[in-house]
Amino acid sequence: MNPAQGGWLILASLVVALVLSIFHLPETWPQWLGWLRPAWVPLFVFFWVMALPHRLGLVSAWIFGIFVDVLFGDPIGLNGAVLAGITYIGWRFYERLRMYSVVQQCGVVFLLILGGDLVRMLVHDLSADRGWSWAVLVPALTSMLVWPFVSLFLQRLRLQFGVE
Amino acid sequence: MRGTRQVFGTMLAPLHYVAETPYLVGEELGNVFATRSALLDENQMLKRQVLELSKISLQYRNLLKENENLRELLGSRARLPDEVLIAEIIGIVPTVGAHQVVIDKGSDAGVQIGQAVIDSEGLFGQVVEVDVYSSRVLLITDRDHAVPVQINRNGIRSIAGGTGRMDQLELENVTITADVVKGDLVETSGLGGRFPEGYPVGEVESVVVDPAASLSRVLVRPSALLDRSRHVLVVFAPETRDEVLP
Repeated sequence: MNPAQGGWLILASLVVALVLSIFHLPETWPQWLGWLRPAWVPLFVFFWVMALPHRLGLVSAWIFGIFVDVLFGDPIGLNGAVLAGITYIGWRFYERLRMYSVVQQCGVVFLLILGGDLVRMLVHDLSADRGWSWAVLVPALTSMLVWPFVSLFLQRLRLQFGVE
Repeated sequence: MRGTRQVFGTMLAPLHYVAETPYLVGEELGNVFATRSALLDENQMLKRQVLELSKISLQYRNLLKENENLRELLGSRARLPDEVLIAEIIGIVPTVGAHQVVIDKGSDAGVQIGQAVIDSEGLFGQVVEVDVYSSRVLLITDRDHAVPVQINRNGIRSIAGGTGRMDQLELENVTITADVVKGDLVETSGLGGRFPEGYPVGEVESVVVDPAASLSRVLVRPSALLDRSRHVLVVFAPETRDEVLP
């Protein structure tokens, strides 16, 4: 990433995604509301890869994943692998993905987030006593629902600041 | 690996504060705009509480003295009081199924891995990761957590394992003949050396005895306010371990 060309915007948005993903609702609210949290970090990474495939590579996605690992207390490298996988798919198919309609993009986002969460759940199952549950579907669904707004918002920001 | 985590974790500590800003600001605003009558009410309540607690503390001092004397008579060492460090919860770990929180004290305040954490009501968890300015606490209800306990009433020992639910622990290896009933107080036994002895863990909520099984299923409601507390205490057990046995 070249900071002179608006790399700071990419970085800042990813930091915002990190903050969003650790932000919690007031303690007095029902706990299940917290489960609806979309997977902000993979969403933001996926947007940047699709919009600017030459700016966000596998290595930077993987390194960024280490920050996510540490923040979430996951085994080091887990989120790096997941983000690198999403980055690879975005980078490989970005021309096709850009042509997709919003609904189709939402479907792709659903599958990507679900795939990533399944990998995370597998590793959690192996490294800690957490096990499998249908709850894995929830973040994928909510991510799919917020994707149009996220992509519109980030696209607007990207054009505003002329990040190429 | 631990070094990597510490470096990255220290870099990321400000993010927890940023994510917590709305609540910190809300608390400040609440302090600024508190009405006079509300403050007076609170003051009244706190005064009453202080009175009650000081009464208990007087009795406690008395009992402590007596306990020391008895222990001296028995020839065993006096128990030293634990020291505590007040910490504030500045974040929770968002992964579904992980019961962990982040507190605002780290290695610069002397926190070490394995220390017990309590809140005003009971045992809260233990420190599992220490960064320079923050550390991570595993709650007693996490499925990966277990704590050696005893029943306060009769000293039956067991292990209280987390179930992944905020309001439930399960006692392991309780035989169906063991005298455990609903309402019993469960406290740390101090066995294993990680948790200090005598802190309340919870109250027995239900005992299900299946005559066909050899173990009964005992569920415990944690007494700590796991999803409510903002302030917790990190316990520094007194250094006695190096001179226990010859």
